[in-house]
Amino acid sequence: MVEWTPVLLALGILLGGVAGAAILTWWERRLLGFWQDRHGPNRIGPWGIGLVVADMIKLLLKDDWVPPFADRAVFIFAPTAIVVSMMMGFAVVPFAPDMQIVDLNIGLLFFLGMTSLAVYSVLLGGLASNNKYALLGGLRSASQMVSYEVFMGLSLMGVVMMSGSFSLVDIVAAQSDVWFCFSQVLGLLVFVVAGIAESHRLPFDLPEAEHELTAGFHTEYGGMKFAMFMLGEYLGLMLISCMIVTLFFGGWMGPDLLNEWLPPIIWFAIKIFFVINFFILLRAAIPRPRYDQLMSLGWKIMLPITLFNLVVTGGVLLWIEETV
Amino acid sequence: MSSPDAEIWPLAVFTLMVLVLVITMLLMSWLLGQRRREDATNEPFESGIVSVGNSQIRISVEFYLVAIFFVIFDLETVFIFAWAVAFFELGWHGYIAMLIFIGVLTVALVYEWRNGALDWGSKVRVGLKEAQTLEAQQATHL
Amino acid sequence: MHTARKLAASSVEERLYREFGDTLFVSQSCADQIPTLWVDRENILAVLTFLKPHFCMLYDLFGIDERTRSCRDNQPTADYTVVYQLLSMRRNEDLRIKVGLSESDLNLPTCVAIWPNANWYEREAWDMFGVTFCGHPNLFRILLPPTWEGHALRKDHPARATEMGPFEMGPERVAREQEALRFKPEDWGMQPKEDDHEYMFLNLGPNHPSVHGVFRIALQLDGEVIIDSVPDIGYHHRGAEKMGERQTWHTYIPYTDRIDYLGGVMNNLAYIQSVELLAGVKVPDRAKVIRIMLAELFRVASHLVFYGTFVQDIGQMSPVFYMFADRERLFGIIEAITGGRMHPAWFRIGGVAQDLPNGWDKMIRVFIDSMPARLDHYDKMAMQNKILKERTVGIGIYTEQEALEWGITGPGLRATGNDWDVRKKRPYGGYDQFEFEVPTSNNGDCYDRAELRIEEIRQSLKIIRQCVDNMPAGAYKSDHSATTPPPKERTMQDIETLIHHFLNVSWGPVIPAGEASVMIEATKGINSYHLISDGSTSAYRTRIRTPSFPHLQQIPLISRGLLIPDLIAIIASIDFVMADVDR
Repeated sequence: MVEWTPVLLALGILLGGVAGAAILTWWERRLLGFWQDRHGPNRIGPWGIGLVVADMIKLLLKDDWVPPFADRAVFIFAPTAIVVSMMMGFAVVPFAPDMQIVDLNIGLLFFLGMTSLAVYSVLLGGLASNNKYALLGGLRSASQMVSYEVFMGLSLMGVVMMSGSFSLVDIVAAQSDVWFCFSQVLGLLVFVVAGIAESHRLPFDLPEAEHELTAGFHTEYGGMKFAMFMLGEYLGLMLISCMIVTLFFGGWMGPDLLNEWLPPIIWFAIKIFFVINFFILLRAAIPRPRYDQLMSLGWKIMLPITLFNLVVTGGVLLWIEETV
Repeated sequence: MSSPDAEIWPLAVFTLMVLVLVITMLLMSWLLGQRRREDATNEPFESGIVSVGNSQIRISVEFYLVAIFFVIFDLETVFIFAWAVAFFELGWHGYIAMLIFIGVLTVALVYEWRNGALDWGSKVRVGLKEAQTLEAQQATHL
Repeated sequence: MHTARKLAASSVEERLYREFGDTLFVSQSCADQIPTLWVDRENILAVLTFLKPHFCMLYDLFGIDERTRSCRDNQPTADYTVVYQLLSMRRNEDLRIKVGLSESDLNLPTCVAIWPNANWYEREAWDMFGVTFCGHPNLFRILLPPTWEGHALRKDHPARATEMGPFEMGPERVAREQEALRFKPEDWGMQPKEDDHEYMFLNLGPNHPSVHGVFRIALQLDGEVIIDSVPDIGYHHRGAEKMGERQTWHTYIPYTDRIDYLGGVMNNLAYIQSVELLAGVKVPDRAKVIRIMLAELFRVASHLVFYGTFVQDIGQMSPVFYMFADRERLFGIIEAITGGRMHPAWFRIGGVAQDLPNGWDKMIRVFIDSMPARLDHYDKMAMQNKILKERTVGIGIYTEQEALEWGITGPGLRATGNDWDVRKKRPYGGYDQFEFEVPTSNNGDCYDRAELRIEEIRQSLKIIRQCVDNMPAGAYKSDHSATTPPPKERTMQDIETLIHHFLNVSWGPVIPAGEASVMIEATKGINSYHLISDGSTSAYRTRIRTPSFPHLQQIPLISRGLLIPDLIAIIASIDFVMADVDR
């Protein structure tokens, strides 16, 4: 017997993802405008929300151009890769109890794998363009994402140790007493930094680095293929936010006393909203480090912190288990 | 809750949907997009100037170093993954084994660090030292 | 006349005479009292080499087409003249050396080996006049397109489009121009590969977000490391110097606003002071203070743009909007006073265009009262940011010596510890009446250059406050006959003043023949207009010495061995506008 709920859910996530990313572009600009003492988009529709539709129409009608000097197949494949991999990442996110496409027992690894695939998108996009700016952007992205990949996974191992599972449902369940954001402060810190680096948003948008490489890896992209890179970036932002909430802030669970007030999906949405706004605030506030500084930060600070976190978490957990 | 026999077919459906979405997006823009070709359309962008040489060049070795580090460290994290998920079962034995393992990893990191493999680019411009010493000399002359 | 000047001459001149014999030199008197000596071509290198230890900076180098000039007094005959203006900061002295050349033999040796910044100036003189500098390493066109025919500042070169054939930019022409712009590494002695390294040549600009206009740097890259670079300018060239030769003295004022387009009336000041010096106009006190007040307001406006774009180029997104909002408030004040915003063109020969409006001081007070707190806020937001410091401290360093050799002035020079500020060293236009400090710092890096400009904003606010508190009463314009526009009160009463007014408005004043240039401390460094009057209603030659021109020239020096992001930080910290470079 085929159940239709997961199919509807899949459709919902798919459309929700695309719509969410589109609305996020508008919301981000409004929010930046608010912080930066200016209006932001406010012309089309109420509060300028119509801009989302206008943007979509415009991007659809743009020239679907593949540079003759580019590697055609790879050039087209690159932007699709990031959308697919980021979208797939949502498959394991538990939005609410039983609201999940698939509860894999290796859910966390699945998520890590999917985000790693995004590297290919940016790297291949940069290399296939056969453009010098794109090449530099692609090289930067490869080294940046590959470096942060290492401890992005490691930073989550504290969480895995405490919940004893890679399944995201189990991890949420393990937080019913205390959210991991309290017991895994260092892990959270590293994961947030790695998350920004992986989704290459300002301040870690070095592959793109408008001020240095004009548009970096997507210099030669336009129209829908450019839009897909953007879609991928915003999906990535949402996915990372979902993961931060799931892994460190109790997922769909509300705070103890208030848990019953709102349905789990609403709690999840509220938390996501805060995390996303936090990322937008970071973008508004922090300058971009240099390529080598970003790499040094990763290898010389973040990696040791992660290892330290692992050792301490392990020791403390075993000690607690022995004494209790 | 999570079990090996968790139904996996929704994932396949979702994958299919995502692929359909992506292909639709590409097709739509291919169908609806305008076609404009002007003189400079088919030139790579290089700030508005025709370029000399192309981007197919040998890339500086620093980028490969990063790739190698990644391979080393990311492979080793796999062991840590396995340990983490079976953490309580392995207990103190596993913990000490992992301590040694992480110790080795740290030694490798320190080695790279000390070798300067983690420093990219120079932070001082060419010829600054000479200019500064020259200026210092002249200051003492005066 | 010669002996009189010789008696008053400075010690360097005396030593010159002693070294080379006084028959070698012909002295010329200029309205600005700068000693001006004519030397023949054979001795110019020896004289310049001798002068190098005495004059730290080659302040300016330019050509003059003398062929149609009538009032030359007793200057040696010459078809073209090359002028070297030297500056000694230690003794606060200038010296002008002129070399006359004949049309048939238009060349002289290069002095690139003596002052490195002569490189671009000589290229410009070649570009504009066709003067060949023998031994110059790359004597290419610099301001005009490489495909240009003729030398634009020669008197026989057309000055306006109507004197030339119709301009067409067909596909072949586009292709030809584009091809001419292609970077040729061989021309600059660059190799495509060395040992195991294969280099990439990348055009950064003219169409690039961080080059502040249309500026191009051709980079030789190893990965992201800059091996060498070649700045290329001229994309914003509008022939401002050529226009000076056909606009009347008065109607040239609006053109000056657009030289350093962030500096507004600051440019007027540099131009008008030279004109006034030539005409012998004395400016009333009120006009002086109004000028200083507006010039300082524009310094604040310009530095605010610098601050915002500097931080933005480092990758911090938000601060630029705050600074532009402040600048908008400031433009509100400018608009209330002058009616214009970015380019008011509000200064006049002999004064300013109008008196201050009623209640002018209220807006300014509100602004200068609120600014210091805002600057503190920005400081916390941007300058104290750790990433920004990491990106800019120790990056783009030049020493004081290098700065002087490359002709760097203004905040860029003061960041190396040198406190040379024209407002203090040669108080012009009434600056001696004001109390303010000249901030300096010692590292000469990007961070210091930025920090120093922010401190300058505070000092400018101090000057503006003094202007507001002590604005003298009286006329806002001199009653000298060269003042424009001339007084109109009695024009309807007697024919004499009516004729005078009519001529002075339609043709503008006749400025007595002579040469003068007056330095001012503009927003970006020292700016001056070397004006040559042939006793007519417009200038015979207008030479605009802008600070940004030499500032760009030394970019390769301070960026070799650094990364692309460092280059962006360096460009951002220089604070140039391309209009100021290309004129």
